Amino acid sequence: MSGSAQHWLEALRGLTLPRPIKILNVCGGHERSIALAGVRSILPRNIELIPGPGCPVCICPEEDIYEAIQMARFDGVTLVAYGDMLRVPVNAPRREPRSLEQARAAGCDIRAVASPKEAVAIARAQPGKPVVFLAAGFETTSAPAAAMLAEGAPDNLFVLLSGRRTWPIVAQLLASGDVGFDALVAPGHVATIMGPEEWQFVVDKHQMPAAVAGFSTDSLLAAIYSVARQFIAGRPFLDNCYTMAVKPGGNALARAMIERVFDIEAGNWRGIGMVPDSGYALRPEFQAHDARRRFPAHGDAARKRAGEMPPGCDCAKVVLGRIYPNECRLFGAACTPRHPIGPCMVSDEGACRIWWASGVREGPLARQHASA
Amino acid sequence: MCLAIPMQVDSVDGFEARCSAKGIERTVSLFMLQKEAVAPGDHVLVHVGYAIQKITPAEAQSTWELLDEALAQEALVAQA
Repeated sequence: MSGSAQHWLEALRGLTLPRPIKILNVCGGHERSIALAGVRSILPRNIELIPGPGCPVCICPEEDIYEAIQMARFDGVTLVAYGDMLRVPVNAPRREPRSLEQARAAGCDIRAVASPKEAVAIARAQPGKPVVFLAAGFETTSAPAAAMLAEGAPDNLFVLLSGRRTWPIVAQLLASGDVGFDALVAPGHVATIMGPEEWQFVVDKHQMPAAVAGFSTDSLLAAIYSVARQFIAGRPFLDNCYTMAVKPGGNALARAMIERVFDIEAGNWRGIGMVPDSGYALRPEFQAHDARRRFPAHGDAARKRAGEMPPGCDCAKVVLGRIYPNECRLFGAACTPRHPIGPCMVSDEGACRIWWASGVREGPLARQHASA
Repeated sequence: MCLAIPMQVDSVDGFEARCSAKGIERTVSLFMLQKEAVAPGDHVLVHVGYAIQKITPAEAQSTWELLDEALAQEALVAQA
């Protein structure tokens, strides 16, 4: 641990909280740093860290992935997606592929890409064949997809847009009347693009402490200290503990590209449902690249468990920060990274996968910590 | 998926740059930083092939140390 992290830890240990507090994070990268550095075990016991909706792969609508699988099966397309998306399970009938990976094994042309640029390169290399890019991700990842279209994509490249905005899900949690947290650590790379100002509503509307954090233990502990201090003082404000990357207004050009290419609409979150203002749609000038317009819908209204998490899986509660990963009865038993059942065990940003990678195997570790 | 990695710019050609980090080289789009002066030697945060922000060399260095630490920790757990 760096000297600076040690400094923040000492400062945190010197605080006197009026009652235990719960701090929500909404970024898989944050959760990864917290879990791998063992931050929970070194914090004072009256500070609880809750992993919230920080995994775009986990909340990508099941219907969108099902749709992508059907396009690859029936429309003669090359389907490209970020690697994490390939193993996410959908609730398809028996004898049908239940993930993009299974569809690929069954002969479909499905490829993992690490960048929208790779999708463009694949489309250019095969001008006669349509390429569909399943574009999931939060703002950080949606901005490059917008940039790709703004720069000019080949005619045979179509986007199956599944990107989501993060602040609206937090707004929904805060408005739910059952708020399970006292403070927010806001996502650093979302704010790098969008600016920290998006999170001002947490303070203004809900009088809740908030701080934008980066991904080092230093930055995370600084943000945890900041919100704890705000809580004690009863004077919440939006702090920025990641000034290296997060500037006022974010990346204005990237924001302008998002606005030029996307409209804002309600978005569906797997296991959660529709969240107002959390989704994107292609604006009219870019609809020639809309995969949903180009290819007929394969949606089957009668499909069992459409949109839901897999049977027995508690990913929806994990995503909302209602339970810890190891409180799901499948965690570490039926559901492991090698044989994942729910999306939170598939993605590198899923809380279940992160907890597993940091050594949690079973048992109510977090609960003990919380109630101690 | 939202993690961005610091890379150093080796050369610039229009909206594209060749960047490197830890001996790995990549072509990176500067399309979202086109209003900023980006020159060889500069450091940028890269996410899914796009530079999203310029950072200082010191910031790049400290981020790399963090990532190294995290990777080492993950490898340790995987062996256990």
